[in-house]
Amino acid sequence: MKKSVLLSMSLLLFVGLFMVCPLTYAQNTIKVGIVDTYTGPATTFTMDVLDGFKLAVNEINAKGGVLGKKIEYTTRDEKFKPDIGLAMAKELVLKEKVDILMGTINSATALAISDFAKKEKLPFFVTFSKSEKIIGEKGHPYIFNMNENTAMVGKAAAVALAKKPYIKYWIAGDDYEYGHAIANSLWNNLKKLKPQVQKAGESWWKVGEADFTPYITQILAAKPDFIIAATGGAGMVNFQKAAKATGLSQKIPFYQHTAIELSVLKPQGQNAPEGVFGTANYFFYYPDTPSNRAFVDEFKRAYNREPRIGALSGYMTARFIAAGYKKAGKIDTEGLIKALEGMSLDSPVGPMAIRGCDHQLELPMYFGVTTKNPKYDFLVAGDVQVIQAKDYMPTCDEVLRVRK
Amino acid sequence: MSRQTILGLGAGIIVLLLFPVFLPRFYVYLVSIILLYGLLATSLNLVLGYGGIFQFHHAVFYGVGAYGTTLMLTKTGLPPMLAFIVGPLASAAFGLVIGIICIRLSKLYFGMLQISLGSLVWAIVYRWYSFTGGDDGIHGIPIPEMLSSPKSAYYYTLIITLASLFVMWKIIRSPFGSALQGIRDNPVRSEMIGINVRMHQLLALVLAGFFAGVAGSLFVVVDNTVFPDMLFWTLSLEILIMCLLGGWFTFLGPMLGAAVIVALRTFVSAYTDYWALVLGIIMMLVILFLPNGILGYVEEKFKRGFMEPEIEGQ
Amino acid sequence: MDAVYSIISAGVLSQVFVGLSRTTILFIVASGLTLILGVLRIPNVAHGSLYMIGAFTAFTVTKLSGGGSAGFWIALVIAPLIVALISLIAERGMFQFLYEREHLMLLLLTFAFSLVFGDLVKLVWGGEYKSVPVPHIFQGFVPLFGGLPFPLYNLFLLLAGPVVAILLYLLTNKTKMGKIARAAAVDREMVGAVGINVSRVFATVFVIGCYLAGLGGVLVAPTVSVTLGMDHNLIIEAFLIVIMGGLGNIWGALLGALIFGLTQSLGILIWPKFGIIFPYLAVVVVLLFRPTGLLKSTW
Repeated sequence: MKKSVLLSMSLLLFVGLFMVCPLTYAQNTIKVGIVDTYTGPATTFTMDVLDGFKLAVNEINAKGGVLGKKIEYTTRDEKFKPDIGLAMAKELVLKEKVDILMGTINSATALAISDFAKKEKLPFFVTFSKSEKIIGEKGHPYIFNMNENTAMVGKAAAVALAKKPYIKYWIAGDDYEYGHAIANSLWNNLKKLKPQVQKAGESWWKVGEADFTPYITQILAAKPDFIIAATGGAGMVNFQKAAKATGLSQKIPFYQHTAIELSVLKPQGQNAPEGVFGTANYFFYYPDTPSNRAFVDEFKRAYNREPRIGALSGYMTARFIAAGYKKAGKIDTEGLIKALEGMSLDSPVGPMAIRGCDHQLELPMYFGVTTKNPKYDFLVAGDVQVIQAKDYMPTCDEVLRVRK
Repeated sequence: MSRQTILGLGAGIIVLLLFPVFLPRFYVYLVSIILLYGLLATSLNLVLGYGGIFQFHHAVFYGVGAYGTTLMLTKTGLPPMLAFIVGPLASAAFGLVIGIICIRLSKLYFGMLQISLGSLVWAIVYRWYSFTGGDDGIHGIPIPEMLSSPKSAYYYTLIITLASLFVMWKIIRSPFGSALQGIRDNPVRSEMIGINVRMHQLLALVLAGFFAGVAGSLFVVVDNTVFPDMLFWTLSLEILIMCLLGGWFTFLGPMLGAAVIVALRTFVSAYTDYWALVLGIIMMLVILFLPNGILGYVEEKFKRGFMEPEIEGQ
Repeated sequence: MDAVYSIISAGVLSQVFVGLSRTTILFIVASGLTLILGVLRIPNVAHGSLYMIGAFTAFTVTKLSGGGSAGFWIALVIAPLIVALISLIAERGMFQFLYEREHLMLLLLTFAFSLVFGDLVKLVWGGEYKSVPVPHIFQGFVPLFGGLPFPLYNLFLLLAGPVVAILLYLLTNKTKMGKIARAAAVDREMVGAVGINVSRVFATVFVIGCYLAGLGGVLVAPTVSVTLGMDHNLIIEAFLIVIMGGLGNIWGALLGALIFGLTQSLGILIWPKFGIIFPYLAVVVVLLFRPTGLLKSTW
């Protein structure tokens, strides 16, 4: 008999404990809840999003906050698991009563949270997920995409590659939605811009693949002019290392999104392969403008390292939130949304705006090639071309047409 | 069951029924999640604790149930309540198929073969983007009106979980259940006294698969999403942990284990991002000092107060 | 379309060699796992974490020694020893009291360790990608078959594998400790009754098994990005290999690793989109026909 009674009583005790957990925030603040992955290979990117965000928040709070209120934030580590991510988002909204949700690098989580945010009528700022469904098919008024998505990446890269002389392409990448989406978008846009291109073949490997040699030998045997390597996360460095080890990087040029940015190049130091093409949305060394330099200096002083991609998204998210509330005149969701639509702010890399029709951040994309530079002990992007947002973003029509 | 047990249980159920009345929305959601994971862990324990079968990839059945329900709701125009039955039936079917393939092996080998087969299923769900949504999962699943609010989702979960637990409890107490435990303790002897070992084990696997699928359909009701992660071996390991932590020789142990893990995860992460570390340490402490799991320990303590400690198959 | 390439024998041979070099790391890690599983009956889920710690330690050692090639060789010696030390502490501190427990509880314990180790690695090293450079003499490649490149480092791995296998064989079959361990795997009570300190034997085997995990981590480090989450990728493959080969059987681990590595490399040629399935299919096939593994198990 005692067992069941004991169980019921322990259950009650549990419940009691939960209820005693105090609300941890003062009333007079703007609360931002951040769900992201801070465990595993994705951490290298998400740390920068958070640090960029914190940098801006500190700036804003130092100047008195927004409408007299300070911005407070709290993070939750979803460990790249969507069900945990969703549960944490619910906890942030239902228990911590945050005003805004922000996150995550995991597209599946982002989509799940987006659905929840829609139901709760709460703004959700997506900082690193790149699925086009977020702002496209599953888009809605409460979502803001603060970085590029796969459709955009593909088109930007296509715009740059169309100008190059390559005809025979091999398409490869990580076998998940991100990889396929980038490859599809790139290929479809490239064919439109340059109909003569041909596909020599395709190969797809599992996410987290550590040994590319078998795939590389297969590709080399086919002798294409160019390889599109739609890798993500840790696959970036793995592929580059394998390309160098097999000599692929000297034989056949290839492209990866974010191949040319710091998270991927810095760890490899001088051993990273040269001549790799890539796109990225931020470099700390380009453009070498006063505003970028100021941002970099501030970031370095706070965190003892140079900012990488992700830092810009985090930073601008905070800035837009603050500016949006200020323009709305009150801490109100509908007001914030209206204020943000079409709003343009100065960023370290120039002015950028949030497009009104779909809430997509209009940011410039940079296309470059890995190059040695005597100033740094790691490779950087050289021959940088800037592709303006209007040249690679889908039109409002295209986006809104797929929304349900 | 003694009168006092029934009273105790009744009190517990009344408390659960009244939760949404005095608990804020978040806790209603949390308890829903605990209930369905508890159901999932209990379904695993049906074959693990009571059957002695090393079911290492139980999450497959959970995922199949969830995806089955989801695909019925999103791809067909059939009545929604049908989806909540088809899902568990699909996972029961999977339980049968995988069971038939693996049953000839025992212990660790059974588990490893199941992991291999389960991983194949995961790979298919993960890659079949057009049908299953691939690694993005499926979101915003349309749930019938009467179940869609958090409160109604909670009540639905509560009722289904209690009903399922009751059925499983009855199964364990039935001659079938006794035979199953007999097989767990001594398969050779059981065979000799005429029990068809294979049939019993297969049936247990089908039942476990069915209830795992029920848990999966409950997840769809509560969270309106599915992900391929629901079929991944890390979740199977977590469900196993819930059983072992709570006490796998008790009936309600897995439910307690689920409650502990979900609660820990939720509340520890409010204070630190290193909640895996905290969970690991707590697990070590439980293993060192409570070898039969939390509830197992509790039961032992109470039994020793009244009678000789029974040797329950351990 | 891709079947065409399998007719090109140079491509196939190249794939076979690549599969073999990949086998080495799988084998080294799996051999450690099979030792621990076969002799101590512990399913060591933390094996992947130790492998990861080996890789991260190699990173630190190479960084501290200036980032040059010498760093790698020093790491090759030191890092596995550090991993072995960590495992010794865990064994003496906790595991040695729990050998009588159920397998599943031991699995639970090693899982707890993997959680703790995973977060500790994050605490100590942080989240950024780390990279260990390939030592100078192995940089570059050799045009092996029909001009297709074979990285020199992979060649090194290809040779290192059999060396470790032979050393392990000598250790387990020709040394007194090895023979005692093999006896203890089969009948620990008997060994204890003969007056041998079984606990010490177990500790030794455990530490050696974990040393191998760390060694695998060091060897793999120059070829991949050293990141958090490395432990998860490997552990399932290691377990499947051990099961395929026969518990506690080192040659079984080698055989299993060979099958795994080769089916993966060749599977890519046959069906590139689903090449990942072939090793799993191989496991299923093996277990259906030889349920206790290909070679003799100690259980």
